[in-house]
Amino acid sequence: MISYKSKYILKSFINIHNRVNLSAAAENSVEKWDLITAVCLERKPVIAPEPSKMEKEFQDYLSDLELRNSLKNDFELRNESEIKKIELLKSGEVDLDSDVTLKQTAQDFIDASTEEAMSFKLAGRTTANENNNRSLNRKLDKHLVLLVKQKIGNVHHYLLPQGPRQEGETLRQAAERILKTNCGNEIKAQIYGNAPAGFYKYKYPKSLRTEGCTGAKVFIYFARYLQGHLPNKDVDYLWLDRQELAKTLPKEYGQSINQFLVDE
Amino acid sequence: MLTCWKVISNMKGSAGVSNFALNYFTKRNIFLGRVDNIQRSQVLWAEPMKKKKRIDPAVVKAREERRKKKLEKQIRRLERNAQQLKPIDECEIPLNITDERDIRKRENVPLPENVLENRAVLQKMWSIYKQDHHLKDIKMLDRIMFSQQKALDQLRLESEEFYQEAIQTDFHLIPFSSQGPVQTPAIDNYEPPDGDYLDISKKWE
Repeated sequence: MISYKSKYILKSFINIHNRVNLSAAAENSVEKWDLITAVCLERKPVIAPEPSKMEKEFQDYLSDLELRNSLKNDFELRNESEIKKIELLKSGEVDLDSDVTLKQTAQDFIDASTEEAMSFKLAGRTTANENNNRSLNRKLDKHLVLLVKQKIGNVHHYLLPQGPRQEGETLRQAAERILKTNCGNEIKAQIYGNAPAGFYKYKYPKSLRTEGCTGAKVFIYFARYLQGHLPNKDVDYLWLDRQELAKTLPKEYGQSINQFLVDE
Repeated sequence: MLTCWKVISNMKGSAGVSNFALNYFTKRNIFLGRVDNIQRSQVLWAEPMKKKKRIDPAVVKAREERRKKKLEKQIRRLERNAQQLKPIDECEIPLNITDERDIRKRENVPLPENVLENRAVLQKMWSIYKQDHHLKDIKMLDRIMFSQQKALDQLRLESEEFYQEAIQTDFHLIPFSSQGPVQTPAIDNYEPPDGDYLDISKKWE
């Protein structure tokens, strides 16, 4: 972080220095950049991640501690008294009491409840779509980021949905438009704030530099997926977790995106 | 009207007033006569005053008294309630539990020495673990904020106007709310058992 800052300060210093020395001619040859807006659409994890070994151990310790320090509840007292009564009956010290035999004992209740709990099936942590990276119903405990196939120059890349800003709109409005045109109307997302979360810039190849445009500055907005799905046709897209992102994206691009994504 | 004419004709005779001034005074339709020439008609919609109903002073007094009492009662009720706080049931230990404390006590088997030792170690490890966790969080937040600042700096280099628009507060996000994640995922096509939720919590006025 410090190194970036010092580099940045140094750079701006050099810029000022150059401008002073090279007079007005330098002003005209200031680099021009295309402004591009991109949206990083992320799905939050649906389920909490598996607790670590340390977390599990500490959890067990705390629950044991809590049990030891607690008082017995009414149900436990009832269960104990019933057990005592049954023992007394067996030893024949007390006459048979019809009340006890008819009603459901505490132990019966525990058994019935356990059986009911066992028969209830929870949904699994993994789904059938685990390897289908176009599905949102996968890797439930991970963050998933949307990539869309786009043509940059002559090559197709999987990148964050992006596009140039149009006349008369702010960058934030451009981000909303890009999300709509790339992902259709069915998907709902919330862009977080008016300010871009990340930044990436690249230079065009020398042959493509026109009208003094040296390259593009990409301003990346962060958006949270809310609901809905992408259209199955038309768009070629992927929902990827952090590791898959690192593999799929160009290295430097991936790094600048990782800058503003939360750790897993 | 007459007087006015006189003045003007006099002026004309003596000082030679211009035609403009003459036209000005004669063409205006303002009443320049004496004020007591104007008369007003009587006010016609007045009616004789009604006879005031006489009320027994005792009744008036009683009425006053009742009103006063009512107000006092309200004030008293407000004062009483101001002292009384809404009880929090969860924080009050029921009386029967304090009475039966001896019956309800658990007979815990004392833990062996090595288990206690392990637990002490575990607690220390846990605090280190959480400290690392916290440091990581702070580093992460720092990284994210730095990334945003870098983007904003670059935006400012390009256009001051865009920068000013970007640093505006987004009021759609306030107040912020977020749900999840949960422990287990939702079951597909799950039909919950029938029934309604009934709110049985006490109402306090």
